[in-house]
Amino acid sequence: MVFQPLRALVKWTILALAVPLLAACEGAQSTLDPAGPQARQVALIWWWMFGVAGVVLVGVSGLWIYASARKPRDVGSEEAIRINRRWVIGGGILLPTIAIVLLLIFGLPAGRSMLPLPLPGEQVLRIEVTGHQWWWEIRYPDGQVVTANQLVLPVGRPIDFHVTSADVIHSFWVPRLGGKVDMIPGRTNVIRLEAAQPGRFRGQCSEFCGRQHARMILPVEAVDAAEFDAWIAARRQLVFARLPDGEAGDLFRDRCGQCHRVAGLTDGDRAPDLTDLASRPTLGAGLLPNDGEHLRRWLREHQELKSGNAMPLHDDIPDATLERIAAWLETLEP
Amino acid sequence: MTQPSTDPDQLHDQFNEVWGNPRGWRALTIVNHTSIGLRFLITGGAFFLIGGLLAMLIRTQLALPGYELMEPDAYNQAFTMHGTVMMFLFAVPMMEGLAVYLIPKMLGARDLVFPRLSALGYYCYLFGGIILVSSLLLDLAPKAGWFMYTPLSSAGHMPGMNNDFWLLGITFVEISAVSAGVELVVSILRTRTNGMALHQMPLYAWYILVMAMMIVVGFPPLILGSILLELERAGGLPFFDVARGGDPILWQHLFWLFGHPEVYIIFLPGAGIVSTLIPVFCQRPIIGYRWIVLGVLTIGFLSFGLWVHHMFTVGIPQLAQSFFSGASMLVAIPTGVQIFAWLATLWLGRPVFHVPMLWLVGFLIVFVAGGLTGVMVALVPFDWQVHDTHFVVAHMHYVLVGGMFFPLMAGLYYWLPHFSGRMPSVRLGRWGFWLVFAGFNITFLVMHWTGLIGMPRRVYTYDTGLGWDIPNLISSIGSFIMAIGVATILLDIVLHFRFGLPATKNPWNADTLEWATSLPPSAYNFVSLPDVSDRHPLWKDPDLPDSIARGEHRLTTIDHGRRETWGTDPLTGKVREIIHLPGNSWLPFIASVLLAGLCLSLLTKFYLVALGFTVLTLIVLLRWSWENGAHPAAAPDAKTQPGEPPLHSRTLDGPGLWGMGVTLIANSSLFLSLLFGWFYLWTVAPHWQVPASTDLDGSLLLASAVVLSLGTLWMRLLVARLRRGSHEGLFGGLSLAALLSLAQWALLLWVLLGAGLKPRETTHDAVIFVMLMYALIHCGLATVLTVLQVLRVRIGYVGAKAPYEPVVVEQLWYYNLAVLWAIYLVLVPFPSTWGGA
Repeated sequence: MVFQPLRALVKWTILALAVPLLAACEGAQSTLDPAGPQARQVALIWWWMFGVAGVVLVGVSGLWIYASARKPRDVGSEEAIRINRRWVIGGGILLPTIAIVLLLIFGLPAGRSMLPLPLPGEQVLRIEVTGHQWWWEIRYPDGQVVTANQLVLPVGRPIDFHVTSADVIHSFWVPRLGGKVDMIPGRTNVIRLEAAQPGRFRGQCSEFCGRQHARMILPVEAVDAAEFDAWIAARRQLVFARLPDGEAGDLFRDRCGQCHRVAGLTDGDRAPDLTDLASRPTLGAGLLPNDGEHLRRWLREHQELKSGNAMPLHDDIPDATLERIAAWLETLEP
Repeated sequence: MTQPSTDPDQLHDQFNEVWGNPRGWRALTIVNHTSIGLRFLITGGAFFLIGGLLAMLIRTQLALPGYELMEPDAYNQAFTMHGTVMMFLFAVPMMEGLAVYLIPKMLGARDLVFPRLSALGYYCYLFGGIILVSSLLLDLAPKAGWFMYTPLSSAGHMPGMNNDFWLLGITFVEISAVSAGVELVVSILRTRTNGMALHQMPLYAWYILVMAMMIVVGFPPLILGSILLELERAGGLPFFDVARGGDPILWQHLFWLFGHPEVYIIFLPGAGIVSTLIPVFCQRPIIGYRWIVLGVLTIGFLSFGLWVHHMFTVGIPQLAQSFFSGASMLVAIPTGVQIFAWLATLWLGRPVFHVPMLWLVGFLIVFVAGGLTGVMVALVPFDWQVHDTHFVVAHMHYVLVGGMFFPLMAGLYYWLPHFSGRMPSVRLGRWGFWLVFAGFNITFLVMHWTGLIGMPRRVYTYDTGLGWDIPNLISSIGSFIMAIGVATILLDIVLHFRFGLPATKNPWNADTLEWATSLPPSAYNFVSLPDVSDRHPLWKDPDLPDSIARGEHRLTTIDHGRRETWGTDPLTGKVREIIHLPGNSWLPFIASVLLAGLCLSLLTKFYLVALGFTVLTLIVLLRWSWENGAHPAAAPDAKTQPGEPPLHSRTLDGPGLWGMGVTLIANSSLFLSLLFGWFYLWTVAPHWQVPASTDLDGSLLLASAVVLSLGTLWMRLLVARLRRGSHEGLFGGLSLAALLSLAQWALLLWVLLGAGLKPRETTHDAVIFVMLMYALIHCGLATVLTVLQVLRVRIGYVGAKAPYEPVVVEQLWYYNLAVLWAIYLVLVPFPSTWGGA
């Protein structure tokens, strides 16, 4: 009578396991929807581990339940010790030992592909990523390009991400490409990833970094090599010569420009570089789509949309001035 | 002396006279382990409900994408406090409380060996917990995560009092954890009833012994870390600040040096409950006792070598990662050994499915699942993907809820008749189990998936369109089912006090001695202490409860008015002495109130007040130590019955010696963590700075160490003479030792004052400052204790007839000697050979 619920339990466990599996693995941030060799290897390891672990879990639980239900004959104490030794050595020592050895043999090499080891004959692209509360600073040193909150990558080329932080610990993670690595003030960590196919992915900070940890998203786009070269080239030459007209221009230079950089005009380095702002997919590190309407909303309500961010409120700026700044910001692109 | 009675009622009255608990406000003076254990359990249950409420808030917020029940900082407070409350205020104290309640009874003792320490531990836990939880009501709760990673938790990024609540409150609570740890170790080793050899004690005692040892060694790194971080936040000493030569990763090492053993500290008592219950419900002895003991010991050792697996993403060299990866997986072996030994017992037994057995099957399924995902995340490349995602949240809840909560519930239902003398309801109990089991799995099984499809932990909200909506909603629904299950269990427990059927004697036909007490037990547990020569005393002699109550066994004299229990040999369990225990006292309560005052004044930054509280606490603690040995309040009269061994205070090897030894192990764990920090910073900190010149006087430090060496040698000679039974010249000798100690302390102070340290400017100087302060505090304490010994010799509490206390104090001298020489070596020869200034 007691085993009725247990039997139901087994049934439901299997169902509960199956339901999420039937759901798609797809998702802009899914580790099980790999878009690069590193992530693919890990996903494959996961499916193997899942299968084996599932068998072990069902096996051990089943054994326990069977052992509880069976009607044993009486055995002498010596035989009891023998039976116990069989179970303990077989199940408690051999089973985990074999599993661990196999797992280490097949599993650990996957990690090597994410290490920045020398690659003969292949040119590795170097991208520097710096975490800030709560946005991403991206530098392409080969091309002296600085941008923020967007990561554009060439398809089919290994990339070494050199990551660090300007304030607290963050973590750099683009699940569809591969594992994460922490961004730690005072240190630089390197992880090698590669996109095997063009597409848009999503990265997200994955070390708790304070109030807006949830709102630190990194839109990623992989493009083919030619497109990437063009993208870099366009930004390398990007310099602006004209601030907005009149008061708006002064205001941008004296206030916004203290923290934000616009190539050719201002040199701030405490907030996202705005030089190619208009070409970015989102505002506020993945918070809002980047269009005219949301840009204006962001300028007005950024402390409500993403409270605690470092940008001061602009309550004192007249609407018309802010509108002029917004209109000018919309022109900042190659 | 009158002939002892054999009438159980009359015996009970006589014992109750000495052991009984006062009522009313005097109940605050109770030191008895049964009362203290129950208080721990009830308080832990209350904190569990608070932690659970926070979990409900978290799951409500995450039920829907973009839903903001709480604003971001409130959410961050909620998840920080959920983890903190569940770990520090529920899991550890609950398991310690159960052990405090059970261990003496299982070992056939009348109380734990340091009853006043039990009470102090409880009050520190209660007050620390209240201080910590009150921060929620003040909207000042910690919000940097229960792991408090720097620099996020530093004053620069989180200036408010929030994180100070955590650092000070948790350190306060940890006094309780460590003191219970010390007490349990000594009690298990030294107070088992006559004949209970180490290999005959109940498995539960083995588990608790290892757990308590792990607390003793595992908590101090976090205590050190918390002290350093609080010094950084409040005093500007930069231990974790890269710019001044510190390293935030040092905090992570110290935290996880504690944090990983912590997982097993929680799991082992749970497994101990499993090992206790399975044989009872199978009605046959556990098979593979030795295998299990071996497994438990192995886990205890291994768990200290795994902490880095929480840090695979911080950029540790790959070789080290592979090592920690393999070591982490190895834990599967001793765990597997236990699981299959339990299986073998079930295999050969005829299990009865009472409610506790349901929880045990639930435990197995949930815990094995958690163990399997644990092996997965021990694999470095996989961990790089799922670290800090909901996959790990799921894994860790499977391990902790499976490994701790499920066995705890099994144990609760099993021992409920012991606590109350009544049986719980089978029907409600079943409902409670199935609701919790179903709710738990609905919540957390799907959460693995949520993590795999990319959802990080500790996010207060998430966007729709990522595939996370449905799994999160399922988890939230499951969590509410689980909450209903917990409410059902609570209802069952409350109702059973009113409607439960009275428990019969030994209702489960168990084999261990705790069921030989009356139900519920009296404060003294046993009128007479039986000899035990078997692992299953109650199966061997089912009449034991009655014969114990009739006073047919030993140590039944009570008209001397002392609380007594056996002091036995740690290995063989043969009686060596009679341990006389202190009675009810206000001192623990007063000391903990003063400590609470200290905690609050540090929190509010009234440092002068804090100093006042420190001095007062010290006075109360010294007063406490005064009432020992031959003091009139302890055991002025050393006479024992013919044929009985002497009182422990008249020997050279009482429990206090062991207590001091185990405390010094804890202390050395803290000091070694500090040395680890020093070497770590020298070798790994990214911007380590050594000041160009230093005024630290190496030869003065050497002189201090030499004086301490002479003093220790002198102390050793005095104690050796005392061991030979002579106290000739003891007064003068101890006075000289105290003077040497004082001189050495003064030299050390001179070193500190003359060193011209700038501890706010470089981590280098800050660490030296802490090291010297550490030595000063310990050498100062040795001086004070030696002076007290001088006084006690004068009054006559210490001498050839009562030679015990100088032996205890001598241990502190040895410890200080090792500390001071270590400090000399790492501060003077090491930097110059390493290539520093």
